[in-house]
Amino acid sequence: MLAWLLLIPAAAVVVTVMILPLGFALFASLFQYSLGQEDRMVFVFLDNYVRFFTDPVALHALFNTLLFTVLSLSLCLAVGVGVAVLLRDMHRPTANVLRAIYAMPILISPIIVSLIWRYMYDPTYGLVYWLLHLFGLGGFPGLTSSATALICIVIADVWHTAPFIILVASAGLTVIPEELYEAARIDNANPLQVLFKITLPLLTKVLVVLILIRGTDAFRTFDLIYGLTGGGPANATTSLSIYAYQQAFENNQMGYAMAASIVTLACLVVLFGPFLRNSAQDQGE
Amino acid sequence: MRKPTVGSVAKWVALVLFCVWTIVPIALVVLNSFKKAKDIFTTTPTLFFTPTLDNYVNAFTKANFGLFYLNSIVVALVSTVIVIVVGTFAAYALTNFRLPFANAIAGGFLLGKLVPVISILLPLFVMINAIGLRGTLAGPIIAHAALNLPFVIWLMMGFIRDVPRELAQAAMIDGCTRMQIFWKVIFPIILPGVAAAFVLSMQYSWNELLFSLQLTTLDTYTLPVGIASFVGAISVDWGLSSAAATATMVPLIIVGFFVQKHIAQGTTGGAVKG
Repeated sequence: MLAWLLLIPAAAVVVTVMILPLGFALFASLFQYSLGQEDRMVFVFLDNYVRFFTDPVALHALFNTLLFTVLSLSLCLAVGVGVAVLLRDMHRPTANVLRAIYAMPILISPIIVSLIWRYMYDPTYGLVYWLLHLFGLGGFPGLTSSATALICIVIADVWHTAPFIILVASAGLTVIPEELYEAARIDNANPLQVLFKITLPLLTKVLVVLILIRGTDAFRTFDLIYGLTGGGPANATTSLSIYAYQQAFENNQMGYAMAASIVTLACLVVLFGPFLRNSAQDQGE
Repeated sequence: MRKPTVGSVAKWVALVLFCVWTIVPIALVVLNSFKKAKDIFTTTPTLFFTPTLDNYVNAFTKANFGLFYLNSIVVALVSTVIVIVVGTFAAYALTNFRLPFANAIAGGFLLGKLVPVISILLPLFVMINAIGLRGTLAGPIIAHAALNLPFVIWLMMGFIRDVPRELAQAAMIDGCTRMQIFWKVIFPIILPGVAAAFVLSMQYSWNELLFSLQLTTLDTYTLPVGIASFVGAISVDWGLSSAAATATMVPLIIVGFFVQKHIAQGTTGGAVKG
C-alpha cells in the first residue's frame, strides 16, 4: 500500500507532463487549426501525416535529422573513444588533469555553444576563417552555404559532446582487466589489434548506452541549430524539431506541427527503442 | 625514462591539440566579454587589450540579465527539489517492496527518455496557455522536473539496490517502519547519489532552452532564452552576449570540475560506474 503511495507523485508528474500532452498531441494532429482558434478546428483525419510525407521540406528535414545524427554520433564516438583510449595507459595524475580540461564543454548550455561557434564561424571576425586564411584557404562558405552549413553544425556538436564520451568511455575502460593488456603485450600484438580485439569488444555495453544517449539527443537537436542557422540557409539545416517548431510558432499550423512532432517521436521509438530495451535489461540484472 | 617513440610523440601532439581545440573557443568568448567593441571587431584576434567591465554592466542593467539569472535559479532549484523527492520515493517503492510489475513500471518511466521536447512542448504550450499559466515559471518548472524524472528514478534505483539488504532487515527487526528505514538507514547511504542527481538535474534545467523559450514571457525569461534573444538577432552584440554567456557558463564549468567523476554514472542512469 505504502509503495503505491510513494509512486503516486511520480505517476502524477508523468501523466500531467507526458501522457496527457502526448494524448492531446495525437488528437490535435488529426485536425487543421491555428493557435487560439481551438473552436474552429477542422477534422482532417490523417491528412496532416499524408502532407508530412509528401512535403519536400518535411522530408528534407527528416533526411537532415538522420544525416546529422549519423555524422555527429559517429564522429563524437570516434573522437571520444579515441581520446579515452589514449588517456588510458597514461600516468594517472596527468590523465586526470587532461580529462578535467577536456570535460569543460560538457556542462555548457547548447545555446551558448551555438553562440561560441557563431563567433568562430563569423566570416569577418571568426577564428575559423582567420585560420583558413593562414593556410591560404580562402572562400570557405561556412554557415552561409547549404552545402557546408550542416557539417559546420556537426563540428560544433562534436566539440560539445565528445567530452562526455571521453568521460563515460574512460569509466568503461577502467573495468577492463589489466591482465588482458599484459597478455597482448607478451604476444606482441600491435595497438590496432589491441583496440579491435580487446578494448572495443569489452566496451560494447558502454557503447550501446552511449549510442542510446547521444543518438537520441542528436536526433532531437534543436538549440544548437536554432542558435547557429535557425534551419537555413534554404532549409539545409532544418531538423525535425526545428521544422515542427516553425510550423507551430511561425506558420501557425498547430495541427500539422503536432503531426510532425508525433512523427519525430515515432522515429525515435523505432530507431532507439531496441537499444533502450537492451540497456534496461542489463541494469535489471 | 623510456625513449620517446614516434607513437608516443604523435600521441602527445594529439592530446595537446585536443586541449587547444577544447579551450580556445571558450577562452575566446570569455576574452570577448572583457573587450571593447573595437577590440572584438578585428580580423586578426587580439590578445592584448585594455579590459573593461562595460559588457557585464550593460548585460545586467540594460538587458535585464539580473532578472533572468534569478528566474533561472528559481526554476532550476524548484524543479530539481521536486524531481529528487518524487523520483527518490518512486525508486524506493520500485526496489524495496516486491511490487507486482515493478520492472514494467520502471521500464515505463524509462520510456520518457525517448520523448523529444518538441512533442511535449506543443501540446503543453496549448494546455498551459488555456489555463492561463503561460508567462509564469510554473511551465518550465514542471516541464524540467518531468524530463529529469526518468534518469533520477533509474539513478536512485541503482543506488538503493546497492544498499545491503541486511541493514534494512535489521532495522525492521528493531521495529522501524518502512519510512523510518528509508530516512534512517537508506537515505544517509544514498546521499552521494542524491547529490549527483541534484547537480545533473540543476544543470539540465539551467541549460534548457526549448521549453522556456515558449512557456515564458519577457519578465520570466530564463538565461538560455535571454541568450537566444541575442543570437537570434540579425546582428549580434558580441560584447554583451559574450558577457551574458560567460556569466551563465562559468559557474557550471567550475561545478563540472568537482562533479566530473559522477557525470559518467549519473547521466547513464548508473549503467556505467565511474
